[in-house]
Amino acid sequence: MEIALHNISFAYDLDMIIKDIDCSFVSGNFYSIIGPNGSGKTTLLDLISDFLNPCTGYINIDQAPVLSLSTKDIAKKIALVSQDYAINFPFRVKDVVMMGRHPYIPRFSHPYGSDLERVDKLMEVTGIRHLQNRKINELSGGERQRCIFARALCQDTPVLLLDEAFSNMDISHTLQMLRLVKESVKKKNKLVISAFHDLNLASSWSDALLMLKNGEIKAFGNSQDILTQQTIKDVFNVKSIVEFNEHVQAKQVYYSSI
Amino acid sequence: MILFSLFLVLMILLSLSMGYIHIPIIDIISILYGKISGNLQIIENTSEVYLAVIFDVRLPRILTCAGVGAALAISGGLFQSILLNPLADPYTLGVSAGAAFGACIAILLNLSAAFVSVPAFAFTGACITLFLVIFLSYSSQNPMSGLSSNNLILSGIIVAAILSTGISFLKFIANEQVSVIIFWLMGSFASKTWLDFFAVMIFLLIGFFISIFFARDLNLISLGAKSATSLGVNLKKVTIILLLTGSMLAAICVSVSGIIGFVGLLVPHTVRFITGPDNRKLIPLSMLAGAFLLLFADTITRAVLPHEIPIGVLTALTGGPVFCWIFKKSRLK
Repeated sequence: MEIALHNISFAYDLDMIIKDIDCSFVSGNFYSIIGPNGSGKTTLLDLISDFLNPCTGYINIDQAPVLSLSTKDIAKKIALVSQDYAINFPFRVKDVVMMGRHPYIPRFSHPYGSDLERVDKLMEVTGIRHLQNRKINELSGGERQRCIFARALCQDTPVLLLDEAFSNMDISHTLQMLRLVKESVKKKNKLVISAFHDLNLASSWSDALLMLKNGEIKAFGNSQDILTQQTIKDVFNVKSIVEFNEHVQAKQVYYSSI
Repeated sequence: MILFSLFLVLMILLSLSMGYIHIPIIDIISILYGKISGNLQIIENTSEVYLAVIFDVRLPRILTCAGVGAALAISGGLFQSILLNPLADPYTLGVSAGAAFGACIAILLNLSAAFVSVPAFAFTGACITLFLVIFLSYSSQNPMSGLSSNNLILSGIIVAAILSTGISFLKFIANEQVSVIIFWLMGSFASKTWLDFFAVMIFLLIGFFISIFFARDLNLISLGAKSATSLGVNLKKVTIILLLTGSMLAAICVSVSGIIGFVGLLVPHTVRFITGPDNRKLIPLSMLAGAFLLLFADTITRAVLPHEIPIGVLTALTGGPVFCWIFKKSRLK
């Protein structure tokens, strides 16, 4: 599976959020989008997931224009863990995870046994099984994020978009989720695109990095080639030291504390 | 569900028997049975007065009332889910203000001589308001976020505020008709006819089927726009269909019976404690509970209280405190 963005631009009124982005993402890879606040990371993911429509340019999934697909068809190809995980209604955790099966269950019919099994399995691997009968609006931010994560995995799509999906999780759960995702990329040839703030996690887990600044691509390519003192200075305007770390087996970024 | 239906049927029978002329429930059952089964013998055996009271006076009123209660409750449930706000109600988008404004104009122009014009004006007013609100919050450039709950609530409040000032102005220039306006605004089921009932019923049935058809999509919508879209809900289409459905239900209710508050807010909110937020269960149960509750209130004002007071006043005066209590209790948890 390949997602190709052709000269995509997007603007709210006159504010150009995304400027003429042209790139493609291929299955079997974990991509990370990094960039400062307001650089257009979320907007880019929204465009890929067809929540927003580009002002100019077009997006193809496997050569088929996204516009030609129905929302339901897209939901069978692309799952999104978005940042809007604040939920006002007291749905139970297992019902929320089951909603991931929505595109597959016809109207007025009940979930099959296989749907239930999938929900169960994903609650197990994301570590929320003990919460399954709890109400989602009563959980902590990190727990809720894991529920949304489980829901997206439940959608069983070849493409998974993560919009700072780990922002409220503790390190142990973050690593657990990343391991899950990485495994599905390598074993099931999935495509993951994740917006990240933590450069070190991005570097050690992803195959490729996309650096975004003011809606433009500053660098795009293999994580280990892209991540340098110079690019970090260009994009984030901070001084840092970038070194290969033996233990992590990837480049890591260190910042001075003054 | 079955329990609630049973309650509703019992309430209808009880309500039929109560009133200025008391009719024993046994007689009512046999009269209804006779009518339905076409057994004329039973009909002939009962007094003319009973028949007139039941079929011409009470039954149309009671059924209209139940229909309005049901429609308001469904409408409230829809709005709460669409607007992601468990405290929204059918009037949040200004539908009631629009209907009231329309009705005031009809009354002021003294069109009420032609029997249908007040409800017709009310309905038109409600529809125009709704389209205005949707137009205000819709942006062609960014259709997805245009119809967001914040935009809708904000436009609804602005439009409603303008309209209520308009109503005040109409009252000010109304002179002797001001009492008619005030009475209409407070809501009543007095002298409802079979025509009212059929009008409500048509909207209720259509509204109910549309709501149930989209109930699962509505569950996803209530989680937020982005989640709903990424899970395969055609957000714009479904939101507009359900907004129209909810508003039409509210509009028909207001035009038939005036403004009756708190049913649309309280019923779905309370039923959610029993069923949970799943609209596939919430909508049907709210419908029954709404019908039951409004009929209960109407029976009290019609048959129990010494003087009939406007039902809108009764529901607000009893519903308000009950709501405060529920609200406070759920906050404390």
